[in-house]
Amino acid sequence: MKRTVALAGLLTLTTAPLALAQDAAAFRDAFLAGETGWPAVEARARDEGEVNFYYWGGSDLLNVWVDSMAVPALATKGVTLNPIRITSTKDVVDVILAEKAAGKRLGDGSVDVLWVNGENFATLKVQDGLFGSFAQLLPTSANIEWNAEDPRSLLNLRDFGVETGGAEMPWSGEQYVCAYNGDTVEEDALPATFDQLKAYLTENPGRFTYVKPPHYLGNTFVQQAVYAFNPDGTGAEPFQQNRDDIAPEELARLIAPGLEYLKSLEPLLLNGSDSGARYPEDPAAIDGMFLNGEVDFNCKFGIYAVSTGLSTGTYPEAAREFIFPEKGMIKNKNYLAIPANAPNPAAALVLVDWMTTVDAQATKLEATGFPAGIDGWTLELSDRAALESASPGLIALTEEDLEANAVPDTNATLVDVIEAVWLDYIERDSTEGIEALVQRAYETLGQ
Amino acid sequence: MGRLSPFQKIYLFLIAGFILGPFLPLIIQSFAFRWAWPDLLPGTWWLEQREKSPIPLAWDYVLSPYSRIWEATLNTVLIGGIVTAICLAICLPAAKVLARDRFRGKSLLEFGLSLPLIVPETAIGIALLMMFIRLGLAGTYTGIIIAHLIPTIPYMIRMLTSVWQGLGREFEEQAMILGASRWQVLRLVTLPMLMPGVVAGALFSFLVSTNIFLLTFLLGQGKIVTLPTLLFSKISGGQIDATGAGIALIVTVPGIAMLLISERFLREEAFGQGFGN
Repeated sequence: MKRTVALAGLLTLTTAPLALAQDAAAFRDAFLAGETGWPAVEARARDEGEVNFYYWGGSDLLNVWVDSMAVPALATKGVTLNPIRITSTKDVVDVILAEKAAGKRLGDGSVDVLWVNGENFATLKVQDGLFGSFAQLLPTSANIEWNAEDPRSLLNLRDFGVETGGAEMPWSGEQYVCAYNGDTVEEDALPATFDQLKAYLTENPGRFTYVKPPHYLGNTFVQQAVYAFNPDGTGAEPFQQNRDDIAPEELARLIAPGLEYLKSLEPLLLNGSDSGARYPEDPAAIDGMFLNGEVDFNCKFGIYAVSTGLSTGTYPEAAREFIFPEKGMIKNKNYLAIPANAPNPAAALVLVDWMTTVDAQATKLEATGFPAGIDGWTLELSDRAALESASPGLIALTEEDLEANAVPDTNATLVDVIEAVWLDYIERDSTEGIEALVQRAYETLGQ
Repeated sequence: MGRLSPFQKIYLFLIAGFILGPFLPLIIQSFAFRWAWPDLLPGTWWLEQREKSPIPLAWDYVLSPYSRIWEATLNTVLIGGIVTAICLAICLPAAKVLARDRFRGKSLLEFGLSLPLIVPETAIGIALLMMFIRLGLAGTYTGIIIAHLIPTIPYMIRMLTSVWQGLGREFEEQAMILGASRWQVLRLVTLPMLMPGVVAGALFSFLVSTNIFLLTFLLGQGKIVTLPTLLFSKISGGQIDATGAGIALIVTVPGIAMLLISERFLREEAFGQGFGN
């Protein structure tokens, strides 16, 4: 008797996960068709019991927030949150696609939720690696502006120009902001345009550098220069198109002046006059140069970067934000996506839903300085106030300054081209013309 | 033992400086809040900011569960220990055959055993990853342990082969003549005589395992954190802050502990007690 009970117990133990995996696809189809109520999703999430959240683990502040806020919050919903800190999102995208190629379907992969944007999202989308259009079906999607007629919805509907299609949920919004060191730069000497930056560097050679493409922080700086020198004066506008919709000759014409400018800037960058310009590899590296006074400016995504840098000792005490370049500071959002082979799809939905709550967004903003991804105007007044009071505060700038100078990102398919041309033309000092390089990038990327 | 000449003293001092020197800035950095060029010492220390900061800084972060340092240490020691045990179980008998027997293709086999040391780790890692994903071993302890056996077995085989070669058959034969059973011979003669070599080999494979970064990083998929992968994700940007310095210091602890233990063991157990009586 005892033995049969034990055997039955063993059987349910081994068959339960299998059954969950098998009906995962049915669950997905019903949920995406809007036939599953939220309580049923929560109940299934409790059965699944855990959720694997993959995110860039380079910020101590965010690590503390995830462990101390998100993990307990999910525990109250009966779900164990496994935070998996990664160094490169692209590696995780590769894992997802490799698992997919190995026949791992919904219910038996390893990644439930991934913090992602831009090219990595575009890759997952093109390779059919996403769960589906879930974002607007979550209860907290009311905190996001989805109405396409409202221009403010652009960042929720498009990620680097690629339609999100509800396959990812906005988590945080950022803008490319530069900081200066008040100990070495006079406020009235601050550059506001790329030409003024060059003039400043002619006076003070070597006092600036930017993160090296293909890191997205470097790509963004290059895009801003390309916008500023757009020969038609239309700024970001032509760069919203997909690569298929713009001829290589035309793109080459549009980006050539910006790249020429960056080439002419190179001898004026850090170490540019002797051993060749030194480009930092990532934000930690440029923070170090800025802290050590090797450079006067630090440009990266980080509306509240100065505030958090001061609270962690990674920025010099005299660091302040400033507007650069005028009318050309790229603004975007980053998102939470669910892969097509998520092992725990219901728990993944519950996690993303919680991440979009006012409570999660406000505590994250306060603890980490990562700006909210939800849209303040969709909220009730008290929630809006909660979000505003959670802000660590801008140093020397206002929200209005940032908004007035915001421009959209470049389409992810064009980012690849511009990045390839930068690497050829500037890093490898190619003597070929920009048009030939663009042509080649189109061919390589088209394969 | 005579006294050291001045030249020898300077030489020892330089060697000690070369080995211990890099630890000094690491230790200082681990207590710093803001340490910028050209200051010789941190401008602001962690303890000055400790009360004001809303989050744990420096050692408070490193020693808290947030840093994952305990999990990583436990994983590293656990994986290192299991890898070493399996490695010994495979290599002890294999090395005996290689040391004592002659057979066709032996030199080819010996060469083949060293091949994993020649093939780049990246190639092994990527190929294993593809296979392990299919087999469901990616991101599991089993997968990582199997991967760690690849670079540790060749070293262990080489070390143990020379240990077996140094151990003549005479002692074992002598014991057998005196009426010892095979098991008694193994337990009372062979193993005690092999012990110093086995300890050295075990120490070496443990240290190799605890330092493997790339294979662990690829196959652990971020799910299994060990000290090298934790350190990499912390300092890969080329910037060491206080928490990075603290983690770097902790990463050296298992290796140092292992050296101290084996030092004691080699001195007391193997030679102190002699052959069990």
